[in-house]
Amino acid sequence: MPASPPKHVSRLAAEIVAALLTLALGIAIAAGARGDGVGWGTGGPQPGTFPFWVGVIVAAASLCNLALAFRRVDRHARVLDAVATRRLAAFGVPLLLFVAAAVTLGFYVATILYLAAVMRVQGKYPLWMALAVSFGTAAFFYVVLEVWFKVPLLKGPLEAMLGIH
Amino acid sequence: MDNIALLLHGFAVVLTAQHLMLMVAGVMLGILVGVLPGLGAPNGVSLLLPLTFAMDPVAAIILLTSMYWGALFGGSTTSILFNIPGEPSSVATTFDGYPMAKSGQATQALTLAFLSAATGALIGVILITLLSSYVARFALRFGSPEYFAVYFLAFASFVGLSGASPFKTIVSLGLGLAFATVGMDTISGALRLTYGFNVLVGGVSFLVAVIGLFGIGELLVTMEEGLRFDGVKARIRPRAVLEAARTLPRYWLALARSSAIGCWMGITPGGPTAASFMSYGIARRFSSRRDRFGKGEPEGIVSPETADHAAGTSAMLPMLALGVPGSATSAVLLGGLMIWGLNPGPTLFTERPDFVWGLIASMYLGNIVAVTLVLCTVPMFAAILRVPFAIIGPLIVVVCFIGAYTVATPRSTCGSPRPSASPDGCSRRPTTRSRRWCWRWCSATRPRTRSASR
Repeated sequence: MPASPPKHVSRLAAEIVAALLTLALGIAIAAGARGDGVGWGTGGPQPGTFPFWVGVIVAAASLCNLALAFRRVDRHARVLDAVATRRLAAFGVPLLLFVAAAVTLGFYVATILYLAAVMRVQGKYPLWMALAVSFGTAAFFYVVLEVWFKVPLLKGPLEAMLGIH
Repeated sequence: MDNIALLLHGFAVVLTAQHLMLMVAGVMLGILVGVLPGLGAPNGVSLLLPLTFAMDPVAAIILLTSMYWGALFGGSTTSILFNIPGEPSSVATTFDGYPMAKSGQATQALTLAFLSAATGALIGVILITLLSSYVARFALRFGSPEYFAVYFLAFASFVGLSGASPFKTIVSLGLGLAFATVGMDTISGALRLTYGFNVLVGGVSFLVAVIGLFGIGELLVTMEEGLRFDGVKARIRPRAVLEAARTLPRYWLALARSSAIGCWMGITPGGPTAASFMSYGIARRFSSRRDRFGKGEPEGIVSPETADHAAGTSAMLPMLALGVPGSATSAVLLGGLMIWGLNPGPTLFTERPDFVWGLIASMYLGNIVAVTLVLCTVPMFAAILRVPFAIIGPLIVVVCFIGAYTVATPRSTCGSPRPSASPDGCSRRPTTRSRRWCWRWCSATRPRTRSASR
């Protein structure tokens, strides 16, 4: 590791993190399955047998990935530099906020806020256009899903207040 | 022959105004998702799937498969015009398609791509027509050990055929199998891998995983790479189309070879992506004009396109006859079959011949509709690429959210009576659907124990 903070994520680091993550998952699967019985019962294999061995295989393959990462991966290869990280954050952070808003405020309100905000702030569109697109999208999905296909989506306090429930 | 009579019956089922309109709508939607770099056939189909719950199975499968054909064609369009593969399976088309378009032969490149794709698809459907009954009859004799063998071969070929590190494929496969076992074990009724969380009792929905991996995942990749559209102006001239069509027979060898590769890779779970790369590689190795490959060689377009569509089409054969998906999209369609209350696998042929043969007939018609529409509408869809990502990206996110939410609706939300929801649409979904998803998931680990024991 260089002394100054790295401006990019190296391929090696990404490989190691991914391998450790899947290793942890594999162990969690095997450990969780052990509770359900991994032996041979009167009616054949017990419920935990299959997931237990799947977990073991995942963990073992993760260890192989970890070993291969050290042996094969070019140490100077990068997967994510500062520019790409900023781009990903510009997309990912609003996405997470959208999901949080959809759960608390309801899907339609969240859609309008999300589309309008992204278009206005990132796309630099005039406000009227952002509002037109976002309200149009929400109305479109309302008609198609709620009215046409009878698929109810998340509703929030606003819908309850207006009585569209 | 039996199959021909059944096929004609299938045409009778399909040829209604409603089905034809669905076909056109499906193809248009498919071209749309194929053209958009953030979306592809598997996620397009999975996003549309929740909307088909209320539809008749034949109409629903026509809509979804038409979307699939449209997406396959749309993916090639952006590969050639913008060097952006709309689909993973059309990556190989960019190698020669984009250079050819840049040198001013965009019309020829697109025409050759579409026509060879249609040829590949046609050969795939003919194969299905001729073989499906036979494969289904053969598969009816399958018991649990045979199904295990088929799935094991499928998984082993995933590990062997994928270009990446085999251990990564094993990890992915293992994680998929593990997620599938979360929830109630269908054999013993015991709860597995719930770790005390009540939410996990219902299991992990396949579609939610698909939407997250394909939909959001693709968007993140698109964002990371930064979108640059160095598009070539697409204007299809009718005369150039005919001229290019006349050159197609010249590539008969590439067509035949790529169709064979595509059909084989479609039936075995290699899938369209592997088929198109393999076909391109083989064409390059055996071509007399090897050094022209990568610089705009027509054979370099014909080969991957034919194989891509032949594989995409023939991937339906194992899905219908064995209940084993041959590609990511057919895996999603398989989930759809179960949602509509059908039981994929050999029994489908005897229980619902109208559905199976209607689907096969719709593949013939759907591909004809797709190739016609795609030749007419390419310039229009290419214009969509000029819509900035600040609009398209969030819209795709919203669609992904809807898809994931409607599939994984918690029982409390759907079970409570809502005036806006029809009694039928709501009362049916919470119980049967979640159980079917449970079944779908278990079919990955324990394929069709019920039908096998019959």
